[in-house]
Amino acid sequence: MPEVVFWTSLIFVSYVYLGYPLILALWKRIAARPIHKTDFQPKVTLIVAAYNEKANIRRKIQNCMSLDYPRSHLEILVSLDGPTDGTDVLMFKLASQGIHLLYSPNHKGKAAAINSAAEKASGEILVFVDARQTIDRGAIRELVANFADPTIGAASGELVLVDRQSNKEASDGVGLYWRYEKFIRSCESAIHSVIGVTGAIYAIRKELFVPLSEGTILDDVAIPMAVVLAGRRVIFDSSARVFDQVAPRADAEYKRKVRTLSGNFQLLVLMPTLLLPWANPVFFQFYSHKILRLFVPYALVLLYVSNLFLLRNPYVTFLALQTVWYGCALLGYFACNESTGSLFKPKEGRI
Amino acid sequence: MKRLLLIPFTFVMMNWAAVAGLYHAVRGTREIWKSNEMTGTL
Repeated sequence: MPEVVFWTSLIFVSYVYLGYPLILALWKRIAARPIHKTDFQPKVTLIVAAYNEKANIRRKIQNCMSLDYPRSHLEILVSLDGPTDGTDVLMFKLASQGIHLLYSPNHKGKAAAINSAAEKASGEILVFVDARQTIDRGAIRELVANFADPTIGAASGELVLVDRQSNKEASDGVGLYWRYEKFIRSCESAIHSVIGVTGAIYAIRKELFVPLSEGTILDDVAIPMAVVLAGRRVIFDSSARVFDQVAPRADAEYKRKVRTLSGNFQLLVLMPTLLLPWANPVFFQFYSHKILRLFVPYALVLLYVSNLFLLRNPYVTFLALQTVWYGCALLGYFACNESTGSLFKPKEGRI
Repeated sequence: MKRLLLIPFTFVMMNWAAVAGLYHAVRGTREIWKSNEMTGTL
């Protein structure tokens, strides 16, 4: 019995992290679909949904004003969701610079801010960006050019995580994970569609926008998956880049991940159609990329526990490797959290 | 050395986040469901 549990768990975890990317790489090589990207300049509405962003919003507006896209075809719309830190006061001053402002005095959540902005937008293409990151000057032009292809319903840009100290692309734990994730997304994009876009920059045809349910956590998965269910492709374009710094502390990154993974569970409740193979054109990718990953932690526990009952070769080697791996993880935890013990106990309301 | 240690740490953190995410989803933690931060996801 322990052997069955051990091998089942090992195969499961290996499939999720190695097998699936490998299948994607082969699939891409055999059956990549072309994207007919050409110079295309429709009217674009750039939407910044913001809550308490006083520290970032001025820089963001300057960034948006300096983009390489015809100003006559670019509407900049900031949707304020009941800020309490003075972002609204700052934005009222900046609004004279040709920025359209939507203001909600009550805090209703990002989904509500996005919905009201999409309703007011006049562009054919809606580009969603977050307030914090810096958009590359040519990113909008690159992203929008994909919509010359009528099969494309939404397009994701690339988030480049930069190391705070070296100012180069991050290659430590989170940076490495993000590169791995981008490899998977580029393969999924070439085959059909990515499962979720980069929240920092993505675009959608306005006609395909479906208002988000109240309280939706992952707009950057819900919006593209609605596009896929409508029969269009969602692609990843690495030439449309935005830059962000790696979270300075691991607990910040952890909180972000808890939100994301909690959002995945919420998505299954909000969009159960995604679980139906006959309705979801990227059912295999959705299961492999989003659903199976939710079960990996339990498989890892089973892998370790079953290994404790198999203290003979070659299993004892596996046990040693697993123990070293988790020991290194613990050392890594201490290395980047010298001053905090709260990483795995997020307080309610702080996530 | 620290960079090497961050790889297993990140792996464990991501997986632990899935457990915590399920916990918050089942409890319907208001702050999570109301999405009170405008942060994007990786």
